[in-house]
Order: sequence, then C-alpha cells, then structure tokens
Amino acid sequence: MGVEVIAYPFLFIAVYFEAFVLVTLLSKPARAARARASGAETPTVAVIVPCYNEEETVAGTCDSLLALDYPKDKLEIILVDDGSTDGTRETMARFAGNSQMRIIRKENGGKHTAVNAGIAATSAEFVGCLDADSFVESGALREIIPCFAEPRVAAVTAAMSVHKPSNLLLHMQNAEYIFGITLRHALATVDGLYVTPGPFSFYRRSVLEELGGFRKGHNTEDMEMALRIQRAGYGIENAVRARVYTKAPHTIGKLVKQRTRWTTGFIRNVLGEYRDLIGSRRHHALGMLILPLAVTAIVSGITLFFLAIGTSVRNALTALEIREGIPLSYVLTPHPSFDLFYFPASLFLFLAALTVLLSFAFIVIGKYVSKTPGRLGLGLVSYLFLYGLIVPLWLVRSVSDVVLGIHRSWR
Amino acid sequence: MSLVARNALIALALTIVLTATVVYAVAYLNNARMAELATIEDQISIDTLSLETQFSLLASAPCDSAASSTVLSGELADLGTRLAYAENQLGSDNPQVMRLKYRYSLLEIRDYLLTKQFASACRTKPTAVLYFYSNSGDCPDCDNAGYALSYLRDTYPTLRVYSFDYHLNLGALKTLIAVNKVKDTLPAFIIDGKVSYGFSSLADLEKRFPKGALATSTSLSGR
Repeated sequence: MGVEVIAYPFLFIAVYFEAFVLVTLLSKPARAARARASGAETPTVAVIVPCYNEEETVAGTCDSLLALDYPKDKLEIILVDDGSTDGTRETMARFAGNSQMRIIRKENGGKHTAVNAGIAATSAEFVGCLDADSFVESGALREIIPCFAEPRVAAVTAAMSVHKPSNLLLHMQNAEYIFGITLRHALATVDGLYVTPGPFSFYRRSVLEELGGFRKGHNTEDMEMALRIQRAGYGIENAVRARVYTKAPHTIGKLVKQRTRWTTGFIRNVLGEYRDLIGSRRHHALGMLILPLAVTAIVSGITLFFLAIGTSVRNALTALEIREGIPLSYVLTPHPSFDLFYFPASLFLFLAALTVLLSFAFIVIGKYVSKTPGRLGLGLVSYLFLYGLIVPLWLVRSVSDVVLGIHRSWR
Repeated sequence: MSLVARNALIALALTIVLTATVVYAVAYLNNARMAELATIEDQISIDTLSLETQFSLLASAPCDSAASSTVLSGELADLGTRLAYAENQLGSDNPQVMRLKYRYSLLEIRDYLLTKQFASACRTKPTAVLYFYSNSGDCPDCDNAGYALSYLRDTYPTLRVYSFDYHLNLGALKTLIAVNKVKDTLPAFIIDGKVSYGFSSLADLEKRFPKGALATSTSLSGR
C-alpha cells in the first residue's frame, strides 16, 4: 500500500455519488418522470437564439426550430444578433420573411445581454434558449412543456448530445453528454440541478421577470441563472426525451478552453456569490450533497492527476536507474507474463474499475431513456482512454485561473 | 424521511456493500495467489526430496539424475519471481508471505547443497551465485543488483542464482551466512566460494565470476 491510499477517499466518494444516482434513477419520482407523456397543451412559447459570429450553424439551428412539432401561432423564434462581425447577419436575413421569426440586432454585449434582449421582446409564457450551434428534434418542445405542470417549476432542461460526432474527441464528448443526460434526469427528481444549459433550456417567464433576467455570471450565465432559481426556492426539471444536438469543440485546445470557462464559472459562482447554497439544509440534495460533491470532484480530479504524474515519474526514474548498464537488447525486450498470478488485484484498481463500469452503465442508460440515436462503441472507448487524460488539463487550468485571478475571454 | 435522505442512506449502504465486496474480492484473489505459491512450494519440496532420495539410491551412478536437478532450479527461479511479486503486492510484513519465504529459502539452500553434491560426484563445475539482499531499506543497490542477476540468469540459463533475504530469521540461513562469513554490507554475493560486497555495475559483477564461467555457459545473448 503506497501513496495510492490518498486516492481511496476520493474513489469511495465517486462510488457513493454513482450509487446515489443509481438509487435515485430507480426511485418513484424518476420512474414517473420517464413515464410522463409528451403534452397536448400548447401555451405560448418563445425560443431565443443568441448569435455571435455563427454564420455556419445558425441557419441549421433555425431550420430545426421551424420544424418543431408545435402550433405556429404559439411558437415565436427570436434571433438576436449580438453584434456579429461575420456573415451571421446575412444568414439571419434569409429568415426575415417568416412570420414565426423575429430578428433583433444589437451592439455586442455578451450572451446574457442577447438573451435579455430576446426576453424583453416577447410576452410568451415560456421562454427558451437555444445556442446557435445546436439543433432540436421536432418533438422536443412537446416533451418540455408538460414538465412545467407544477407551478414551482421555473426551468426545464433538455437531453443533449453531440451533433454528428466525427472524431474520437467528439465521440468522447458525446459519451460524456449522454452520461450527463442520465445525471440530469436523476438529479432533477431531487432538485439537484445547478445549470440550465444553453441548448434548449426553458424558463417560466414570470420567474425570469421576478429574478431579474440573465447576468454575465462569470461567462456561465446559464449556471448563474440556475443557481439563482434554486436559491429562490423554485425547481428545475428535466425532459429526458427532449433531444437536442450541439456542436462540440473538435480539438483538445478548444475543448480545454470551453471547459475552463465552465469550471472557472462554477468555482466563481458556487464558491463566490452562491456559497450560501453549499451545506444549506433548505436546498436538500443540492446544498447537502450535489454542490459539495461537485467541489470535491474538482479537488479529487486534480489530486489524482498529480498523484498519477508523481507515481509515474517516480516509477520511470526507478526503472531507468535499475536498468542502467544492462544491454539495451535485454532492457527493450518485453518480458510479458500472461499468467493470472501476476494480475495486479488491488483495492485501488477494483474501485477505479467499479466507477468506470458504473459510468458506462449510466451512458448506456442515458442513451436508452432519452432514445438518443447513434452508436456508443467509439464513445465508450474514447471516454475510457481519453477522458481521464484530458479532464485534469482544464481542472488545473481553471483552478490556477481562479487562484491567480485570470479572466479569459469567451472564445 | 425525505426522498433525498432515503436515497442518500441507501446509496451509502450500497457503497459500503460494494466496497466490502471489492475488499473481499481482492483478499480472495490474494489468498488464491498464496495458495498457488504454497502448491508450487509443496511440489518443489517433493521434487527436492525425490532428487535427494534418487541421489542416495544411485550412489554408484548419481550423475544419471543431474538433468532433473537443472529442471528443479528453473522451477525454483520461477517460484522466486512469483514470491517477490507477492511480497511486493502484499508487503514484507504479511505473515503468509513470510512463511512462504522461509520455505523458499530452505528449498534454495537444499537445492544449492544438492547442486554441490552433484558437482562433486559428477565432476562438473556449475556456476552458482548466492545473493544476499535486504528489503528493510538498508540496501539501496539491491534493486539494481537483482535486475542485473535476472539479466545474467536469462542470458546464461545454466547460471544458478540463489537469492536470500539477509535479515530473514531462519536458522539454516543464519548458518549459511555464518559458515560463509557474510557481513551485513549488502548486497553481498558468494561466487565460486568467494564473498564480495556491493554493486556498482553489471560489468563489475561479471568480473567477479571465474574466467570463462559465463562465456562457457549456453549464451542466449543473440536473442
């Protein structure tokens, strides 16, 4: 037993969190949520599409919104051009003649100002957001509206996955997003959601007005709004079959940049303005379990990363030292043993394998309950081999940004 | 009780059950590993005894069984590798590991003595190394020496390497150490009856072997 003993508490907590999600998935409210039928009620709805330099994807986003299965006179689509400098304006102009569409142009002020401009321009009962790089399935809105049946529900999130994953990194993110579908579905039943993602989250307009619209929220306006909703005592629901596909970063550099924004936003919001939610008995699962575990996950990710680096470097140096002076022909010849005797059965390995297996189970469950199309094979493989290597990059960068007071731009 | 509290408690119970199952599985696999080692040791013990008996029975032509002795040494080397792995996994303070280590050291000494008897009777000159190491932190060069000996053993299959934990509290080993006057300056080697200490390089270790002892062995260096 060596330094790996440091990892045991984190692995135990990881297994505990996954067990909690599993138990919650099997509980009555989650089963009821899965059984919820898509709705026949059609209140007025506005979908706001904030755009900044989205000329390549905004047309597809608009087309998917226009194809939504919802009465045209009840669905308003508001495109907000937040001072784009590319061809977004011209692309938007192609939809100007559509009676469902409204186009707003404004000076660049950030995503939250674009969404607020959209909210101000509508009187619809429910207001949704859709990032201009995302696409919805036609039945998504009819899955979302019934989730607002309870008056205390202020927001509803959708089931996101990656739009047409074409490389290993995208497949990895797709698996991660589908894992997120399961988590969101489970945690929504215990009021544990702390983010209403940009792709197709909906809000009760009256609550948005009461709470005062979107804020910059450390470049994570969707998280800040969700935390504000939770603090005000409202609920955030999840429509597990409301499928939405989003464009994900296709390079490691872009992915790390995006996730650094998300993670620094989380740390600054949760450990800053919304610190009171951590440990708050009034906020049950969110305060007592989810937020503390989310903070622990960051600490654990960084600790395990440095532990792995330290152990690997130490082992490599020892191996080099031991082999010094021995002919390379011997050193470089592998001496494999496939004897089961040498299987490294350790508590660390088995607990880590258990967390990975449960993660895989959640990915499969997420795909099944959301009926997300596509194959998972490449996603699971890339998730297994890549995810653990990449996550520490943005965790370390995020924490160092927060500690050093570095504020990065959105893009 | 609220839904959250109920789920949290069930999840805790589930986590404890899962962790306990994992702990049990690891212990079970380690016990199976120990049992395998014990079985191998038993087999080698029987083989050694058989060889000794054979040696006594064939007093007039003892060299007929020399081949078996070589096979036995190979098995002993494999057992040594397994035992070292088990010790690394379970720790030097594991009582089961220690018990197996005592038996292994005894088997090594018996094989060494048997080899000497065969050599004397058959007029052969087998090359053997008695290597004394320590896992107690007082031998910084032991890992390097152990790897160099593994290289020599793999390269020259007729080379017999007998490794002993210097601090093992075993009467026969203490006697072996006393008879050969091996000091606690580790690593220590007995090559061709001569005691030497320390390890600096493979080349230095090779020089301690009698001239031609390694070269005349079956070399696999070309592989």
